[in-house]
Amino acid sequence: MNNYEHTIIVRQDISPTQMNQIIDKYTNLIEKNGGKLIQTQKWGLLNLSYIIKKNRKGNYIHFKIEGSGELIRELEKNEKIDKSLLKYLSVKVQKHDLETNYFEKKDKQIERERTK
Amino acid sequence: MKRKSSDRKNKQATFNKLSLFHGNRYKFKRRCPLSVKGAPIVDYKNINLLKKYMSENGKMLPSRITNVSQKKQRQLSLSIKRARNLALL
Repeated sequence: MNNYEHTIIVRQDISPTQMNQIIDKYTNLIEKNGGKLIQTQKWGLLNLSYIIKKNRKGNYIHFKIEGSGELIRELEKNEKIDKSLLKYLSVKVQKHDLETNYFEKKDKQIERERTK
Repeated sequence: MKRKSSDRKNKQATFNKLSLFHGNRYKFKRRCPLSVKGAPIVDYKNINLLKKYMSENGKMLPSRITNVSQKKQRQLSLSIKRARNLALL
């Protein structure tokens, strides 16, 4: 069972409900194919450094998965035909580091304001 | 292997030419900044770290300027390419 980090970029004009539908769709797909979803990180709406399919911003979702290679192939096959996704990237990793999340600066700013 | 010793001679010669890079005058120290004990992990998600090793217009700095070891430079370039693919950089 390998460890994978899978990141997808969703189009910016997507309502939160559709976002949750997408996330549920892929989590079910992972579970169905015998994988285990360890963590899901929502990096939120970030500016893309270049325009992808006429979108300047994108919602980033980051999955930390434990599963086999076929699972990733299955996942990417579905993502290719999914219209609302701009890009996906899956990276095989030795082990997951679950605590560091580089993109939750919003929470940090909120904490900083609270502690002031 | 990179010719470590002969580099040092012309490295001194190009010291003033390259010192136009902003700030760090200590980059010619021999030790690699990433393989020190408490160094941050090189990761495609860690954009702030990657930005330090890229020029203003997004090009990777060579290891002879940033004084990074060969192993770390390979990890750096791989994670920079992945971050570019995800449009993070």
